[in-house]
Amino acid sequence: MTFLLAAVIVAVTLAVTFWASRRNTSAGDFYVAGGRISATQNGIAIAGDYMSAASFLGITGLIALNGYDGFMYSVGWFIAYLTVLFIVAEPLRNLGKYTLADMLVYRLKDPRVRTYAAVSTIVISTFYMIAQVVGAGSLISLLSRGAISADLAIPLVGVLMIIYVVVGGMLATTWVQIIKAMLLMFATIVMTVLILNRFGWSFSNMLGVVEAKNGAAFLGAGVKYTNPIDLISLCLALVLGTAGLPHILVRFFTVPTAQDARKSVVWAMVLIGAFYVMTAFMGNAANALLGKGAIEAANKAGNMAAPLLAENLFGGAGTLGGEFGLAFVTAVAFATILAVVAGLTISASTSFTHDIYNGVLKGGQASEKDQFRVARLATVAVGVAAILLGLAAKTQNVAFLVALAFALAASANLPVILFTLFWRRFNATGAMWGIVGGILFTLLLIAISPNIMKIDPDTLTTGRHLIQANAIFPLENPGLISIPAGFLFAYLGTLIGARRHTPEDDRIFEDMQFRAYTGAGVDGTVAAHD
Amino acid sequence: MTVSSAPPAARNAAYQQLVAQRNAFTLTMTVTFLVLYFLLPVLAGYNKPLMAQKVVGNVTFGYVLAFAEFIMGWVMAYIYVVKARTFDRLAQEARA
Repeated sequence: MTFLLAAVIVAVTLAVTFWASRRNTSAGDFYVAGGRISATQNGIAIAGDYMSAASFLGITGLIALNGYDGFMYSVGWFIAYLTVLFIVAEPLRNLGKYTLADMLVYRLKDPRVRTYAAVSTIVISTFYMIAQVVGAGSLISLLSRGAISADLAIPLVGVLMIIYVVVGGMLATTWVQIIKAMLLMFATIVMTVLILNRFGWSFSNMLGVVEAKNGAAFLGAGVKYTNPIDLISLCLALVLGTAGLPHILVRFFTVPTAQDARKSVVWAMVLIGAFYVMTAFMGNAANALLGKGAIEAANKAGNMAAPLLAENLFGGAGTLGGEFGLAFVTAVAFATILAVVAGLTISASTSFTHDIYNGVLKGGQASEKDQFRVARLATVAVGVAAILLGLAAKTQNVAFLVALAFALAASANLPVILFTLFWRRFNATGAMWGIVGGILFTLLLIAISPNIMKIDPDTLTTGRHLIQANAIFPLENPGLISIPAGFLFAYLGTLIGARRHTPEDDRIFEDMQFRAYTGAGVDGTVAAHD
Repeated sequence: MTVSSAPPAARNAAYQQLVAQRNAFTLTMTVTFLVLYFLLPVLAGYNKPLMAQKVVGNVTFGYVLAFAEFIMGWVMAYIYVVKARTFDRLAQEARA
């Protein structure tokens, strides 16, 4: 039944993709669906981009196995959208066309900045993608109970994702996200209602059962995150990193105006918030109804908690209802994996084609037809690279790559975005220093952290650490150090690159600010401004 | 891209007001939500007994605080949406 439902979802998404392909005629259609997505649709798609399999399966499992700490992790993912709403969404829409680089170059007037911003986008998307693809491999083999091995699942996901993006561009990617987000919300809401029904409509009753099974510590903090500094560092990267994630930023170019960008974030916050609140119910219910032992027996990381919970809620193992519940949630998780990978791919290939191919190599003179062709070739290249990297990394411990992508976005992109918008004296050298310094310093800290350096017992064959030695840098997440360092690099670069501040610099800054704040010169469709 | 999108007339009272109000609002709201949000990991790290304290039935202070953070997020987004109507009006005047 699982295969049948998954096949239905794939068939529907492919149909949408071919419908979208008939409306895709230009590079602007490919990159940002011509800027014609509505605020509501975009909000749902942002929520879809964000609610990955890691959230749905991972956080439910995290709460089921670690109690409160897992839920606390959910909060940061949601609150991060306030940073996006207050600071980034609207100016980005007003200043850019297709990519983050557009916005930076609009202010800094230096084509080199475009290359740096594009490299940053591609680096961050790649790390995020490796985590998703490797995760997809193990999740699909887990969800199919071994029927599809990781070696088969990774190319399968890669090929489907290439078809969505190459054939349907951003319009198809957006609709795949919307379909998946609605299915995920539907599944979560139905499960939550069934859970509440099971526990006499009382969260307190459910926590009572959890406490009786696991002890009081499970309802408080500290089961998973034992080092407070590491926890704060992780929270900082989450809250500041979301506003620098390329696949989220690109979504603001798909709507016509800054007002629509604002409304999209609000819609996304309604959905994402509701979803993460419900993870508290799903995770605790999984613990109360299935027990920690059964969840760990299915998968050590807890990734099977949500599907097994659905099986239990719909009637239990061996019943028709139970089988349907398990199959439905599994198929939704599969759709989630596909949609998120497609979203990442399109942001990487847009950045490559618009910024590097057209912006740098062709001096902005490439024809629409050429860009459209190159964008699709770039997508195939990104997809094939994702498959190969995923296969190469499949036995490594890659869960930290998602947190790394957030740390990179917060350390390399956010300082440059903020300085571009608010600091009159900021210059191109500062932007280049900020991006390169932020990326390299974050990667260095990760390389010497316990994510990479750890001594594993000889018996461990999968998920081994790359360097078998004690870590030099103690924190798992580098945000607490790397984010201030990112700001410092951008600041120092600005001082080094400073010429005498001229009236022309003031004029450029004020011009940028006027456009960022009022939307003057932005008329809503992508062909209009440049 | 080098053509200025800001005509001289734009440096008008409405625009000055927009910049001042928007910057003050963004700064206040951002600092407020960061402080309120970081209460959660800081208390989780340094005051575990408080987080495990039961407040309503079996619901601990930790859960109450976490749910409150979600409500705070929605409320702040709503405040911004209301306030943004003023910003949109000023922006329109500034462009005119």
